[in-house]
Amino acid sequence: MIDRGVLLVRIAVRNLLASPINLLIGGLILLGTLVFVLLGGLLDSLNQAMQRSVVGSLAGHIQIYSASSKDELALFGQMGNFPDLPAINDFPKIQDALTKVENVKMVVPMGISAAIITSGNIVDVTLEKLRNLYKARDGQPSDPKLSGVPREELVLRIESEIAHLRQIIKVLRGDVEKAMADMVNTKSVEPRNVEALARVEQPAFWADFDQAPYENLEFLENRIAPIVTDTSLVFLRYVGTDLDKFQKSFDRMRIIKGSPVPQGQRGFLIADLMHEDQMKLKTARRLDKVKDARLNGRLIATDDELKRFVKENRHQTRELVLQLDGLKTAALVKSLQALLATKETSIDVLLSQLLDTTDENFEERYAQFYELVVPQVQLYRVKVGDMLTIKAFTKSGYVQNVNVKVYGTFAFTGLEKSPLAGATNLMDLMSFRELFGYLTSDKAEELKEIQRATGAKAVSRENAEAELFGEDAEVVAEATPGVIDPDAALAGTGRKLREEDLIRRVYTQQHLDDGVVLHAAVMLEDPSRIDEAIARINQVSQEQHLGIQAVSWQKASGILGQIINVFRALLFVAVGIIFIAAMLIMYLSVLMATLQRTQLFGTMRAIGAQRGLILSMVLIESLVLGLLFGGLGMLAGWGVLAAIATTGIAAPNDVMYFFFSGPRLIPQLSTWPLVVALVIILVVTIGSTLLPALMAMRVSPLRAMQADE
Amino acid sequence: MSAIVTITDVVKEYSLGATVVQALRGVSLTVDKGEFISIAGPSGSGKTTLLNLIGCVDTATRGVVEVAGKNTANMSERELTNLRLNTIGFIFQSFNLVSVLTVFQNVEFPLLLQNKLNAKERKERVESLLEQVGLLTHLKHRPNELSGGQRQRVAIARALVTDPLIVLADEPTANLDSETGQAILDLMRSLNQKKGTTFIFSTHDHRVMRYANAVVRIADGKVKGRESPQEAVAHEMELGPDPTLSTEVRAS
Repeated sequence: MIDRGVLLVRIAVRNLLASPINLLIGGLILLGTLVFVLLGGLLDSLNQAMQRSVVGSLAGHIQIYSASSKDELALFGQMGNFPDLPAINDFPKIQDALTKVENVKMVVPMGISAAIITSGNIVDVTLEKLRNLYKARDGQPSDPKLSGVPREELVLRIESEIAHLRQIIKVLRGDVEKAMADMVNTKSVEPRNVEALARVEQPAFWADFDQAPYENLEFLENRIAPIVTDTSLVFLRYVGTDLDKFQKSFDRMRIIKGSPVPQGQRGFLIADLMHEDQMKLKTARRLDKVKDARLNGRLIATDDELKRFVKENRHQTRELVLQLDGLKTAALVKSLQALLATKETSIDVLLSQLLDTTDENFEERYAQFYELVVPQVQLYRVKVGDMLTIKAFTKSGYVQNVNVKVYGTFAFTGLEKSPLAGATNLMDLMSFRELFGYLTSDKAEELKEIQRATGAKAVSRENAEAELFGEDAEVVAEATPGVIDPDAALAGTGRKLREEDLIRRVYTQQHLDDGVVLHAAVMLEDPSRIDEAIARINQVSQEQHLGIQAVSWQKASGILGQIINVFRALLFVAVGIIFIAAMLIMYLSVLMATLQRTQLFGTMRAIGAQRGLILSMVLIESLVLGLLFGGLGMLAGWGVLAAIATTGIAAPNDVMYFFFSGPRLIPQLSTWPLVVALVIILVVTIGSTLLPALMAMRVSPLRAMQADE
Repeated sequence: MSAIVTITDVVKEYSLGATVVQALRGVSLTVDKGEFISIAGPSGSGKTTLLNLIGCVDTATRGVVEVAGKNTANMSERELTNLRLNTIGFIFQSFNLVSVLTVFQNVEFPLLLQNKLNAKERKERVESLLEQVGLLTHLKHRPNELSGGQRQRVAIARALVTDPLIVLADEPTANLDSETGQAILDLMRSLNQKKGTTFIFSTHDHRVMRYANAVVRIADGKVKGRESPQEAVAHEMELGPDPTLSTEVRAS
């Protein structure tokens, strides 16, 4: 039996070598297998890397959300929209039920939302300072920090702030002229604004300023402040979560600046990349980027992007100048004159000269900028320790204010540069619930007090929400950092005290658990058994009427999670085309060979070979061809993968950091592409050979007797 | 002597499109064990059809064909194949060797199909046969490295390697020159005498008929009689040269 098999393989191998077309077929099979194993392996590694990124940064292995949700959960957004998820009401019960499910390690409650931060108007801030200084000078200090300051110093500081205001107005004048030249910014060139600017540019206005300081301040507040367009918007995406649990579950998370939010307290953590990219002074951020690029071997002299950064730094000194009051300007002008060895007096020109960096002076200038300029200005629009006032609006106009303290910034190890991982900020669960208008446990207590006092009736949470927000409540949030909300400032000490109390208040785990969440991340002990866990959770939800549904990280990450599947489908199509071509050629070739060899088959049948032997002979020929070249293809694919794995593939840009789960993708050979490739080879060879083989099998032994032509 | 092939009133019809052609029209024939018998007749007379029936590669339309005591009419395809494998050896006009296998492997092939002997026994058997046909020195040659006569010797060795009861040879010398053809017939004859194997071969060459014990003359699908080789040769002379023979020789 074995000997017969050996003979058949021998016949097969010799027949293969006899026909050059077999080389073409073999080549196609080799190519197809190589491409499949190589790209399949790469995609698999990419998928695993992305899984690490998605699972480790936000999603966990499984996400659960309300079973009645009309929208699908999309953690990274779906075409820029955020899913409208109904609240999960009985989280403690769900958590209790899920932690009992085998393989579940932890359940982290979450709620995802977004807000827009507008940074403070520099004129407003300066006018506020000036007003406080005048009040202190006039013996009615409203700012406790100013009481006890000598009158002489107050006068000096008033002068400095007035110089600052005049500097701002000079910048505004430039803006208006530019806008007039461009005819773009119509708001700035309104005649009313030009007229106001013209008035405050008169030296007379400032000479007489002290005559009626409060009146003049009012004029500036009403007419000049609105012209300033330095307010820029920052889109702020955040997840309200149990911060302790979050940090324990997502162990790649680490604090970069500041500290974690103390256990059980309210607080906000900003994604460090966002803090750097969008909240840092643009000039400083550009300098950082140039420094980083130079460390990676890029040069200002040859790199267009770096050239652009330097040019922008030289021309866009406005954001620096706007922040400098008279005293600071004078100090900076002096130190820059010394540094640059010049007699230039314009701060604009001096800054521009400082920032005119080349490959030769960059390191020096970088250090000088951070040493001389940065201490005079606010480096970040939102700093660690700032209070963020986040406002939530609904369609019905109901506004909810929540103040949260920024405790620090954070990043995920390996994903520090990934814009995808660095776009989501973290907020404590209590603030999140309050912002959404859901009752937090301490608010509930407060409400009970009021109810007792007034005899008001309680309305169920569901109804209340519907009444407050309407059916399709769309929540848009707005946050203002640093700047004191006038409402809040006017609300008196009682409210202030309450806010301070809220910030310091420590909540128990029960407080955190007992309330509304929108979705939750489920961490598993053994992630490879995720499908099983999802099925089990859905089953538990059905049995215990939890009203939740579980989806994999891949599904929960929305379009992002599907990208790999799209690539994989493309790969299958490409490889499919190659194999279909191989199959077609193989079919024709085997058919031809069969027709040419009918006498051989007839002879074999005549001298006693059964039909099955002929069938297996033809099939073995193709199998040997397929397995030989397919095997070579697998080997080659594996070899290329192994070669790539020694150095890995460097992420071509910051976005790819997320997909690579770090700066490099180190491919690993998984078994599935090999197994699938083997199955494909078997299908291709047997599929293309079966018909001719059946024909060969049916050749009559009579054919042996017919003379060879 | 006992009969090894018994053919009784056999009719073989082929359909050629709409018409039915009768290749054999009621043939009866008995071949005894150990005979060296020639079936003679012009092309189209039914020689090959008769050989096909005896060789169990075809079955009769009517009548009885008994080979080694078995009625082939009632046998399945698989049983017929086994009968061929174990009872009959074939020698073909154009040798029909497997071109990608060596001389040794070609001869060994039927033994592998039989699957009765181990590798050592097979080697002994194949080498003994190749020694008898004088090709022991050519074990590793491929068929295309051999002359026509050598190829037919390999084919003879392959036909005899399973120790068959009957060897069928269809025009075994048609593709050989006369000298080589005579040598092949000498070899067949000597193997017939040494082993007692029954040889049945078809030919229309009177020089070949001389080697036979008996010549079965067939014409128009009917057995015209059983003659001694001398009678047959005389008969051939009377009939004159077969007109188809010359064309076939030229063609090959």
